[in-house]
Amino acid sequence: MPGVAFVAHCLLNQNAKVDGGARTAGIYSPLVEDLRARGWRIEQMPCPELAFTGLHRFWAVKEQLDTPAFRRHCRRIARAVASAMEVHAERGDDLVLVGLEGSPSMGVCVTSSDPEIGGRPTWPDGGTELAAGKGIYIEELEAELRERGFSLPPAMGVSHQLPDHDPAAERATLAELLGG
Amino acid sequence: MEGDARCFCVALVTSSLVNPPVGGLDALAVLQEKDWGVVQLPASDYPDDVAALLLEEVAEQTEEFARNGYRLAILGARAGLAEALESRGIPPLPQLDPSTDDELREFLADGRE
Repeated sequence: MPGVAFVAHCLLNQNAKVDGGARTAGIYSPLVEDLRARGWRIEQMPCPELAFTGLHRFWAVKEQLDTPAFRRHCRRIARAVASAMEVHAERGDDLVLVGLEGSPSMGVCVTSSDPEIGGRPTWPDGGTELAAGKGIYIEELEAELRERGFSLPPAMGVSHQLPDHDPAAERATLAELLGG
Repeated sequence: MEGDARCFCVALVTSSLVNPPVGGLDALAVLQEKDWGVVQLPASDYPDDVAALLLEEVAEQTEEFARNGYRLAILGARAGLAEALESRGIPPLPQLDPSTDDELREFLADGRE
């Protein structure tokens, strides 16, 4: 088996998205199909925002979610996921992580950040909230793994939330992550 | 709520159906065809303590879907799932351990078509 891909919850379940964010009915198929075609085992991570802020949540930037309580919530999820990753690491499995770029929780290289956002929400299209960096959950997972003597596995993020989303480039990035 | 492409149907699916052996039932293909999302259940090869942590998260997320009226079902069987869902006050869900694509299609479509 090539390895195990720990993927963002919404890759398999767009129902978990913030209202207005679901791009497909259920499964976001392009990357799932690629992972399966290459023989990678899929392990879905829980959605950090779904249970904490719920299905009626507003779109949010990282600063709005970055509270001690949400960090504790993310760390609890991270303990569960890291425990599973540890099982595979001890078996010698290759691991990759597929997060969600632009997400305040699941961003790997791009999160959403704007310290001025707050109060009554106004979200003009083409806002400038995208910023380089990891989401809160990814940070907590990295910290949990570090405490266990592991590092974050090679990772990428689905880019379909970004204005310059390029499906071909996204799949190429996955292919590179998976080793060609 | 502005709405989007979501299907409001979520299946709790065993890992062996998400990652079937070569030639096995391709449940994800059928779930996609019938417009269902997936919450993956802990794999049977995880130690009990690891599976318990993951089941706790599954139950919490399922509770949020349940209280918002999403259609829920279970595909396959996972030890500890019933107890985890019951602890969240989620009533027993329709369940199928599918053996064929058509059986799964019929189960997922039941009441929708």
